[in-house]
Amino acid sequence: MLNLIKSEVLKIRSTQVWFWMLVLVIAITVAATLGSVLTIDSSTPASQVNYFSVWTNFGVAGVALLVLGLLGLTTEFRHKTITPTLLATPGRWRLLIGKALAYVAFAIPYGLVCLLVNLITALICLNAKGLPVHFTDGAPAGMVRNFVALILLAFFGLGLGALIRNQAAGMVVGILYLSVLNLFFAGIPGLRKVYLFEPAGAFNAFTSRDRDNYGLPHDVVHISPGVGGLILLAWCLVLLVAGGYLSLNRDIS
Amino acid sequence: MTSPGQPRPATAGTQPVQPEPNGRIVVDHLTKVFGSQRAVDDLSFTVEPGSVTGFLGPNGAGKTTTLRMLLGLVTPTSGIATINGRHYAELPAPLQTVGAALEASSFHPAHTGLQHLRIYAAAAGLPAQRAEEVLGLVGLAGDAKKKTKGYSMGMRQRLGLAATLLGDPRVLILDEPANGLDPEGIRWLRGFFRHLASEGRTVLVSSHQLSEVQEVADRAVILNRGRLVRAGTLAELSAGTTTAVVRGPDLRQLQPALVQAGLAGSTEADGTMRVRTDDLRLLGHLAFVNGVELHELRLEEFDLEQLFFTLTEGAYQGASFDHGPPPQMPPPQQGPSTRAEGH
Repeated sequence: MLNLIKSEVLKIRSTQVWFWMLVLVIAITVAATLGSVLTIDSSTPASQVNYFSVWTNFGVAGVALLVLGLLGLTTEFRHKTITPTLLATPGRWRLLIGKALAYVAFAIPYGLVCLLVNLITALICLNAKGLPVHFTDGAPAGMVRNFVALILLAFFGLGLGALIRNQAAGMVVGILYLSVLNLFFAGIPGLRKVYLFEPAGAFNAFTSRDRDNYGLPHDVVHISPGVGGLILLAWCLVLLVAGGYLSLNRDIS
Repeated sequence: MTSPGQPRPATAGTQPVQPEPNGRIVVDHLTKVFGSQRAVDDLSFTVEPGSVTGFLGPNGAGKTTTLRMLLGLVTPTSGIATINGRHYAELPAPLQTVGAALEASSFHPAHTGLQHLRIYAAAAGLPAQRAEEVLGLVGLAGDAKKKTKGYSMGMRQRLGLAATLLGDPRVLILDEPANGLDPEGIRWLRGFFRHLASEGRTVLVSSHQLSEVQEVADRAVILNRGRLVRAGTLAELSAGTTTAVVRGPDLRQLQPALVQAGLAGSTEADGTMRVRTDDLRLLGHLAFVNGVELHELRLEEFDLEQLFFTLTEGAYQGASFDHGPPPQMPPPQQGPSTRAEGH
């Protein structure tokens, strides 16, 4: 399994997609951190500063990992490299597990870089604004949850890619879901009641400060961040298993 | 039906999988049905260890489907295919046991040739420098760091062949390795085959380059419309296929005499006759007594390509004649291969 993980990490690293996505994510993290600190009035007491938001801007890296996860299998089918991949690793479930573990191995340093960028930018900005550097407001737990969420989103992308197989279709579905369908869920009365139980909602719940901090209407069934994480994990597993069953069990011809 | 990549149980009428000598490939009553089409139909053959076997058949004969079933990429509808007595998915070290090149376009265009090989070397637990070694073996050392999207078809074929050698396997399965190669590439491939054969590897190669296969192959398996037409050593295949070439200004009067004498053959567009016999004396006598002038009468050496066309009827070689009605121009792809088997 270690050889397989090494091979899969090599696949991710061998194209420049991860690098340019990292550059983009770093830029967004810096911009978001600047925005979250520079909009704080210097006279704001430390107890009223939203430190949770300041330290968790790196969560945007989740989108990059979702995309990279989506490419994990769709690229194999697009470029027909699934054939040599399965010749090297004939066990298809073993391959899927290996890919998932490779994304864990890849997401950890990827997330750490983004976290460090977030920390450094926030430290510089807080000092520049003369604001105290505090890790209060549930920030440490929030940072851990955002970090774990990066890995879960990579799993989610991998499962979605396994389910759809077609790279272009996978991207369209992913973007449509995040930008349109997800908002439908959050906005339509009645439907929004279960918003936090669908993947993007569960992600929001997991990466929020606490169960009352979603800024959502009262008719939405609120859940704690931990439950949100478990729901997101369940979605990832469902997608991986369904995708693995439907895609990988097909003939490769 | 089990999923691809998973061990499959032996089907009814087939023997349980037994340990096989290193390098033996066994295809046993293999069938694959796609919808209403039987791509492979009850196919059985064996590739002996250390032999080079040509896997021949016209387009759509089921060669690629068979190879993909052998490699666990396609699930057989019934039957089994094993290498060293195991299903491909059960091989403990697949790349060190079998090297397979199935298509010349299975590369990520943004990867260099070296990256491509290193990825699969890593998956097989092989050292990274093995990728450089095999690139050298196929003459791509100078292009190792070039992206595969810039590779020509010939370079892609070589890269695919390099991948087969990564684990230094004793069994090689190559699907149309000559496709898209220029004459220089064909010449290189011929040398490559010779090299593999000299090392005693088991090679199963599907190819349309029949002359190349004939030069290095010990055996041939000929397939048509998913069914086995003939399998055996080249010596076995050539037995009974001796053909006499007869040329003359007007052979029309000779043909009925040949049929009357129980001989079969074909007449080509330029009037040349090929008669399935090695009895030149009989042919000369029949020509003499029928007053037919001959310009040439000789035996033709065994030609795998000729046999292939005869057995598969994949390409029309000439109007056949036998004990039936007067010769007519048969349409290409006419009829199953049973007639060929009878000769």
